[in-house]
Amino acid sequence: MSNDPIHQFHINPISEPIHFGALDATFTNASLFMVAGVGLAAGFMWWAMKPAAVVPGRAQVVAEGAYSFIHSMVKDAAGEEGVKRFFPFVFTLFLFIFAANMLGMFPYFFTPTSQIVITATMALMVFFTVIVVGVAKNGFKFLKLFVPSGVPWYILWFVVIIEIISFFSRPLSHAVRLWANVLAGHLVLKVFAGFVPMMAAAGGVFVLGSILPLGMTVALYALEFLVAFLQAYVFALLTCIYLNDALHPGH
Amino acid sequence: MADKKPPEDALSDLRRRVDAARGDGASRNALAQSPASLAFRFGGEFGAAIIVGALLGYGADYFLHSSPWGLVIGFGLGFAAGIVNVVRVAQSFNNANPPNPNAPSIPDDDD
Repeated sequence: MSNDPIHQFHINPISEPIHFGALDATFTNASLFMVAGVGLAAGFMWWAMKPAAVVPGRAQVVAEGAYSFIHSMVKDAAGEEGVKRFFPFVFTLFLFIFAANMLGMFPYFFTPTSQIVITATMALMVFFTVIVVGVAKNGFKFLKLFVPSGVPWYILWFVVIIEIISFFSRPLSHAVRLWANVLAGHLVLKVFAGFVPMMAAAGGVFVLGSILPLGMTVALYALEFLVAFLQAYVFALLTCIYLNDALHPGH
Repeated sequence: MADKKPPEDALSDLRRRVDAARGDGASRNALAQSPASLAFRFGGEFGAAIIVGALLGYGADYFLHSSPWGLVIGFGLGFAAGIVNVVRVAQSFNNANPPNPNAPSIPDDDD
């Protein structure tokens, strides 16, 4: 069981069953680590910015660096108006995913972003925000998103269908990218780590050989830290690109 | 003397110098993506469009009782949409990372 690489993704209830009508809202280990991710992100920002010094301390530099990093990303991808409307949303998404990914790097901890329900919820949130804001701001002009300019009329209907499919494929690829990266990374890590006790138990020359998967595990751990940051960044960046379409439809 | 200035002046002066040192700040943010994550993005965009196209076709079949034509056509259209997605990603990647104009040219077999 301890060598089962899937075991780390099991969801276990940790409270009495809670039901709202047909909705099962039992507090599970996934809920716990989502709350922990929110608490870590919010708590760190609050604690780091508490002095609010002109000459920042170490923690404040980190907090301000994260802020200005996402700020300039939103500005590059969605312009000044995007910053005004969506910066808090994008910054919150980034901090939550980053905190959840980083918490998941601890052995025996659960990683909420390895569940497609959670990444798909965030991707659909972005998707519906794009539609609602796009229609509220542009009205029917939002449909220009599906009608590229400069296309002759006899293939336009075909292009429009393809644009619509492409538009609806966004939340899927948005959600799957984060989920699959985190899931695959944790699986590979666990499989390689599992080789170490297996080879050590085999005895003889294998005991010496078990150093190889151990070294691989250490290297993969470093890679996973990169993936944890990079996927949070990519998720936030794609969010900005999609939100930019809501503000400026038409190519 | 710098410390005779009122603090607001010193602050705005610092701000100006920090901005100057940072440069425009526009492309400072261009984070180098690893080739693996870029490849994954291509695959994800392509596959997602195919799945969505096939699902839309399947849904049309369900309501219009036209099985299997909706699935077949939806699959094909999803394939086309996937190509469109991949081309878009490649385009945005090329815009973000313009090729080095001073790079040595690679000889072509046709020349």
